[in-house]
Amino acid sequence: MSENKVDTSSAVEQRWTSRSLGSFWQHQSFYLLIRCGGQQAAYLLLYCVVFYYTLLPSIRRKCSYYLSRRFHHAGWWQRFWNSYQMNLALGKVLVDRALVGILGAERIEVKFHGKQELMDLIAEGNGVILVNAHIGCWQVAASVLDFVETPINLLMQREEGDIDRHHFEHSGSECPYRIIDPRGHLGGVLEMLEVLKRGEVLSVMGDRMLGHDKNGVDVNFMGGTVTFPFSAYKLASATGAPIVALLSYKVGRNSYAIKISRMIKVPGNLGRGKEKFIPYVQEYATILENFCDEHPFQFFNFFDMWQNESVD
Amino acid sequence: MSVKEKLKRVLIEDLNLEDVEPEEITDDMALFGEGLGLDSLDAVELVIIVQKHFGVEIKDMVESRPIFESINTLAAYIEANLS
Repeated sequence: MSENKVDTSSAVEQRWTSRSLGSFWQHQSFYLLIRCGGQQAAYLLLYCVVFYYTLLPSIRRKCSYYLSRRFHHAGWWQRFWNSYQMNLALGKVLVDRALVGILGAERIEVKFHGKQELMDLIAEGNGVILVNAHIGCWQVAASVLDFVETPINLLMQREEGDIDRHHFEHSGSECPYRIIDPRGHLGGVLEMLEVLKRGEVLSVMGDRMLGHDKNGVDVNFMGGTVTFPFSAYKLASATGAPIVALLSYKVGRNSYAIKISRMIKVPGNLGRGKEKFIPYVQEYATILENFCDEHPFQFFNFFDMWQNESVD
Repeated sequence: MSVKEKLKRVLIEDLNLEDVEPEEITDDMALFGEGLGLDSLDAVELVIIVQKHFGVEIKDMVESRPIFESINTLAAYIEANLS
């Protein structure tokens, strides 16, 4: 089971970590069950594991930052049940991700809403920025992006010592995407600029600040203020690349859906000031909030995004 | 006006560097971090500034990393690529 617990050692710069909660052997147990009994066997163990973890107050607290804003008036039992649902949804996504890697992508059906729109944007040749978030399962969703002939580049930070495997690592195949490390030279900005100038696809996470990145702006999200990165919008302004939000979500036991949002139009040459990008980051935050309305248990940020603001 | 002088002037104007005079920017001063204090996203602005004011396109961003170190390195790249 993976989660995003608060890293108190560097809470000022980064309030989360993507390092897995489970031990090496716990992960191996799930992988073995998937190999032997498929998704059903892994889910059976998952129900027990998630129930155990949900009993822990520290785990429920991590769920509560989001859930208390999504379900304002929930009582104790409802909060417990919501925490279980949220943890279970994350667990299922992680099992499905491993399932795709171990038994093949054909085990999961993925429907892509907006495929032609995405192809049209890529065909314009200015590059495309896909703004992702910690929702649903972008990796399962991305397994059907093979129709995109243009190279896909991901801005992705991997925690040191993380034992959680990505789907392609289960089969020992090469990563199908080019990874840009935000801890690299100038935060990977030059690499991102380069791929957009080549007309390629750049995928970034829009809901968390990475590492020591200070390029964030405050926007309204679920009744409070959160800091979201604006680098993608700056790059869009500089290169003319269109921005769309990529939303993935589980819709059935063996099925996922992806949809792309309406295009976020960032004017060219907005310049240096971060405040100029707030309207576009806010547009994304609103898209994300609408997603949470529709899929309340598929939002996987288990840390206080609201910087200790009280719930209204 | 030399490339270095023009570069310092346009950096101050286009990046809105307040309370900084061209003569305060030394040729070997680091552009990012300590020194001039630009942040990573300002690299995007630098690419635009070089193209807009000097007509020089920085084509290979990754290979061109060293040119973003200082006024000296950036000016040298511009001079070498001026048409």
